[in-house]
Amino acid sequence: MKDLQKIVLIILLLALVVGQKTVTGQEKKDTVSEITPDLKLGYLNTSNDSITLTADIFVKRETGNFALQNAEVEFTASADKENKSLGKAKADVAGTAVLKLYVKSGLPVDKEGKTTFTVSFAGKDKYLAASGNVAFKKAKILVTFTKEDTIRTIHVKAVQVEANNEQKPIKGETVNVYVPRMLSNLKIGEVKLDDNGTGTVEYPGALVGDSLGNIAVIAMIEESDLYGTVKGQSTISWGIPKQYYLAEKPSTRELWTPIAPIWMIITLIIMLTGVWGHYIYAVVQLIMIKRQSKQKKDYF
Amino acid sequence: MENKPTREKLLREFAPQIERISASSVLWILFLLGVIGIGVYAFVTQVTEGHEVTGMRDNVVWGIYIVNFIFFMGMSYAGAIISGALHLFRTEWRKPIIRMAEYLAIISLLIGPGYILLCIGRLDRLPFLAVYGRIQSPITWDVIAISTDIFGCLIFLYLSMLRDIANLRDFSELKLPKWRKKLYSALALGYTGTPEQEKRLKRATDIMAAMVIAIAIIVYSVLAWIFSVTLQPGWHSTIFGPYFVIAAVYSGTGVLIITMFVFRKIYRLEEYITRKHFVAMGVLMVVLAALFGYFTFSDYLTKWYGSEKNDENLIKILFSQYYWPFIFSNYIGVLVPLLVIGIPKLRTINNILISAIIVVIALWLNRYLIVVPTLESPYLPIQDSRPAWAYYNPTWVEYALTAAGVALFCLLFTLGSKFVPVMNVSEMSEIPKSKGPFTEEESLV
Repeated sequence: MKDLQKIVLIILLLALVVGQKTVTGQEKKDTVSEITPDLKLGYLNTSNDSITLTADIFVKRETGNFALQNAEVEFTASADKENKSLGKAKADVAGTAVLKLYVKSGLPVDKEGKTTFTVSFAGKDKYLAASGNVAFKKAKILVTFTKEDTIRTIHVKAVQVEANNEQKPIKGETVNVYVPRMLSNLKIGEVKLDDNGTGTVEYPGALVGDSLGNIAVIAMIEESDLYGTVKGQSTISWGIPKQYYLAEKPSTRELWTPIAPIWMIITLIIMLTGVWGHYIYAVVQLIMIKRQSKQKKDYF
Repeated sequence: MENKPTREKLLREFAPQIERISASSVLWILFLLGVIGIGVYAFVTQVTEGHEVTGMRDNVVWGIYIVNFIFFMGMSYAGAIISGALHLFRTEWRKPIIRMAEYLAIISLLIGPGYILLCIGRLDRLPFLAVYGRIQSPITWDVIAISTDIFGCLIFLYLSMLRDIANLRDFSELKLPKWRKKLYSALALGYTGTPEQEKRLKRATDIMAAMVIAIAIIVYSVLAWIFSVTLQPGWHSTIFGPYFVIAAVYSGTGVLIITMFVFRKIYRLEEYITRKHFVAMGVLMVVLAALFGYFTFSDYLTKWYGSEKNDENLIKILFSQYYWPFIFSNYIGVLVPLLVIGIPKLRTINNILISAIIVVIALWLNRYLIVVPTLESPYLPIQDSRPAWAYYNPTWVEYALTAAGVALFCLLFTLGSKFVPVMNVSEMSEIPKSKGPFTEEESLV
């Protein structure tokens, strides 16, 4: 009877231990299932008084980032105690939500002229709430052109907008100058702004424009701590009209084209002719052996 | 060579093998057919259920099928190069073993390409290769090269067998069914050994011997280029062509030694295939072991010293996950033949056989280590790929089809030896007109 009691006691203890483990495992599973997504805010200030805010929302996994498609995020602008909602946007398949704003004025600014932009995700299902923010001062870049004899120059002027809407030159910042090409921007120069917030770069020749020769020139302050990314753009007809530009005609006989290069075909023909020529010779010898068998004679 | 056996004597000795199939042979053939039957079942399973039944996945798209393909093709080229070279050099000791080398060349060549077909998911699209094939593709080169090689080896084998077929046609003591006599008569092409016929046969055989050597080198280089023209770590190597050729002849020499041993035992050929032949083949194996070791060391040393990220990663994998196969393949597989042949006391037939078996296993593993670890460490991770898919584990289907290939190889060799003697009777009974560079008197051993 005592043995039976011991056995029952052991079983109960085991059940308690195993049961506890099961409960703990369940709790862990619930905890693990809640995920805090990463939210990154991007800022692009174009000089025509528009701002593009982008929010990338994703979850980090071992196999890479997993984008939260259709997640709704809200963008707000704030300064000191003023807070203003800018709008809501849904993330696309890559997890990117975009909001474009036209803001001549009306954004809250602090006494340094900075506006804090915030993006927030309220959370949904197992994905917890997340937010991110950046604070930048409004700036503008103006791109102009001059031509003296054969030298063509691009002029860049950058200004910052103070809290009282006064424009002051940006000093010492680096401005990169690009022309847009088919797949990405081609960098054609770099300008260090002087005390007047200006700088120049010589226009390189032989850039292909549109059918009228128009070519866009983009000047950008990129990822500045104070201004974020600021972009100025202007168009000039200094490009080569594309109908007059004769691109190098691609060869139809390359490694990747349907028809092989001539050298390859010639090499193959020489090799196969050489090999099969010898085969044919050997077979002809066999045929001759057969013909000569008319002079019948036993091998033994 | 006053002790040359006559044709009649030799044919009388081989007559039992040609005339009938013993009970043990029947059992052996049934066993081989059984293994092939399991392979057929595995093939049907693969076709009906898809490649999911194999261990091949998104990352490792080539598994032991390709390893077997390279291995069998290597044996074939080894057979072609050895038989061609021995024939051209008029080596006296070649005579009892040259037919085996020729059989090795053609039988392996018929089985090897079958493994490529097993890799193809949509076999119904195979004709597209001929219709839309591009000359720039190494796969097209391989198809052209292998088909050219098959014809070359068949012609060479036929030329070298012609005199023996004529022997079998005319040897009256041979009790064969009528259909076989007729078949020999048709295949002998009326060869009666007239001086004119002999001259033509010798000329054609010499030319084809040279051709099969050249083609074997080119074809196996093409196979190596399938790997080396890619930028994959471990494959992108300029020495892969000669490395593959050396590895092929090395493994083929091992298989030939095993074949010599087996036929010597079964057909009691101790009188003809002596220790000298094994030692001669052993010396050839040692030379190839040294060359293979040199190429392997050179390839891995340059990769390791270059410290290119992906090559370094691959070498780390080889020395961790694949440590023992790597050691067996590249150290034991090279050192054992060097020791066995290098030390005169160890040069016994059994020891040479053991080192040949080690070489064959080592070279199969060598091909596995070339194919699989590289595919397990690609440049770019495949998006949303499961980690399990990055690793390769062959399934029973792949093992069954590998066994079936080996069984088919043995079966064709068995049937071939029942059709025409496994030794070249005509050459064995021939008294050499002039000494070749390696006659028996001047034997290397």
